[in-house]
Amino acid sequence: MEKIKIIETKNLNKSFHDPVEFQALKNINIEIGQGEFVAIVGSSGSGKSTLLYVLSTLDTDYTGHIYFDGDDLSLKTKNQLAEIRNEKIGFVFQFHYLLPEFTVLENVCLPAMKLARFSDAEIKEHAYQKLDLLGLRDQALKKANKLSGGQQQRVAIARALINQPKIIFGDEPTGNLDSKNSQNVFDIFKELKDNFNQSIVVVTHDMHFAERTDRIITLSDGEVV
Amino acid sequence: MTQTPVIKIALTHLVAKKRQTIVAMLGVTFGIAIFIFQAGLMSGFQAYFIEETVNSTANIRIFNEAEKNRKGIISKLNDDKNHWNVVQNQKPKDEQNKIKNGYQIISILERDPRVAGVSPFLGSQAIFKVGISQIAGRVSGVDIIKENILFDVSKNMKQGDITRLETIPNGIILGDGLADLLGAKMGDNIMVTSPLGVNLDMKIVGINHSGLTEVDKSRAYINIRNAQKLLQVDGSYITDINIKLKDFALSEELAKYYHAKFGFRAIDWKEANASVFSVFKIQNLVTYLIIISILIVSGFGIFNILMMIIYEKMPDIAILKAIGYKDSDIKKIFLTESLIIGILGGLLGLVIGFIMQKIVGNIRMDIKGFVSMEYLHFNSSPGFYVFAFVFGLIATSIAGYIPARKAGKVDAIDIIRSK
Repeated sequence: MEKIKIIETKNLNKSFHDPVEFQALKNINIEIGQGEFVAIVGSSGSGKSTLLYVLSTLDTDYTGHIYFDGDDLSLKTKNQLAEIRNEKIGFVFQFHYLLPEFTVLENVCLPAMKLARFSDAEIKEHAYQKLDLLGLRDQALKKANKLSGGQQQRVAIARALINQPKIIFGDEPTGNLDSKNSQNVFDIFKELKDNFNQSIVVVTHDMHFAERTDRIITLSDGEVV
Repeated sequence: MTQTPVIKIALTHLVAKKRQTIVAMLGVTFGIAIFIFQAGLMSGFQAYFIEETVNSTANIRIFNEAEKNRKGIISKLNDDKNHWNVVQNQKPKDEQNKIKNGYQIISILERDPRVAGVSPFLGSQAIFKVGISQIAGRVSGVDIIKENILFDVSKNMKQGDITRLETIPNGIILGDGLADLLGAKMGDNIMVTSPLGVNLDMKIVGINHSGLTEVDKSRAYINIRNAQKLLQVDGSYITDINIKLKDFALSEELAKYYHAKFGFRAIDWKEANASVFSVFKIQNLVTYLIIISILIVSGFGIFNILMMIIYEKMPDIAILKAIGYKDSDIKKIFLTESLIIGILGGLLGLVIGFIMQKIVGNIRMDIKGFVSMEYLHFNSSPGFYVFAFVFGLIATSIAGYIPARKAGKVDAIDIIRSK
């Protein structure tokens, strides 16, 4: 049986024009399948974060094609891309980017409230399920900025999961965590992949983390090696 | 369907910046309160003044205007552009300002179904003498019963009764200011001297207060027959016909009609008081300029606080965009914030403006100037409140729109990458 492709790129190129002309991505052709846990590694400046932003629809300034869940992203409008991000993509960043004045529960609910597919009560129910999964149920009503770094990162993962995304993108998700919490985050990702067949793409410079994923894509000077 | 939590996010931002929010809000509050107060005061005063003036101005006044700058008879005969006719010391023709057949015109007007009342008038300058005090003023020769239908003279009587002008052959009603200047009281005798040197001994039968200070200081009512005696003219001589219409909105139209019909000059009350209305126009302009400048200043306040919030909340904006909030959602959040400031500040402004009007309106002022009034009159018509509120909202949304659009355009990657 052929593997379902979540993401496929064809001749993906990206250049920065400011301050000097610089090609950040050169002819990238990669595929990411359903249920794959992929790490993108490379030295800093290799273009790994840039690739992630392009793949995750945040950056639209590229040439070539990205097929996401069968759709050609280069044909989508900004608003359509926002809808795709909302519905099919979960994000986990190095700095967790929670809304500090909101409670943990509200932070987790934000993408679902935007999607508005379920009632408020159902959204809350789902959010609690995700928080349970990450062992944060008892923190649900605390303000997000009252939690430790490791806890905040787990809240961010719960938020990424709330809309049952096709794929989760992690941008150095463990970059700001100690080894214990890093291990914890890795275990969560691994569990999501094993138990829920969740596709995950993580940019990291933590080789210990990368080595234990299914596949490593190494970038060097904007090229896959 | 669940609403996107735009309002909740907006409120959270405002609460997090409580002090600045309140300052921005008070800017709007102040602007709107001042406007409500100022506009209410101005238009209340104007309405009072117009009422007083219009009540003492006929809807239509018919009179005979003496021809000024009359062409000399030589010019009329020899109207050649290539010749000069020099006549020095040309004097106006000794024309009477009389309305010919005045009483016939009055009876025709009285039969007009659109007319509520017609009053003949003969005015003259006069010198009033009581003992040694002398004041120059004007006598208004009227048929007081008819005059009362037009101007409600009896309502303004401080002392005495208007009918005594009819019953007492040499009765006179003085304006209260004039009586004060002369030191004259009810029942006193007074000598009235006309420009022709005719003296009449008269008896004060009433004191009148019209509310227009200048008028009260110079006017006296006498019977029209006595006025004719003063001017040494016959009993059909009148200079003005004042008309009150059933619908004063027809004034302008009917003034033209009567002019065409009778051939005499006929002006409506608006034309008669044109100078007053032009002053009001300038007053109103100033009032609106004040509110506009205050609201512009408070607009900058709102602009400032939103810019501050946006710079501080860049990471929030970035993450909201990453999890699928559209540019327009972000814009909505910040527009909502400016609208919340506008609505709360505006409502508070309306309340404060209302209270200011009530407080100041209850302070006894006893103003004696252009017009005399005991209390300031405020016009608290709902129109001002609606206008002020809507205008406030427009100003705040414009002030909020620019930062909101900027927030909508924030590039999420720039923020994420720069961390």
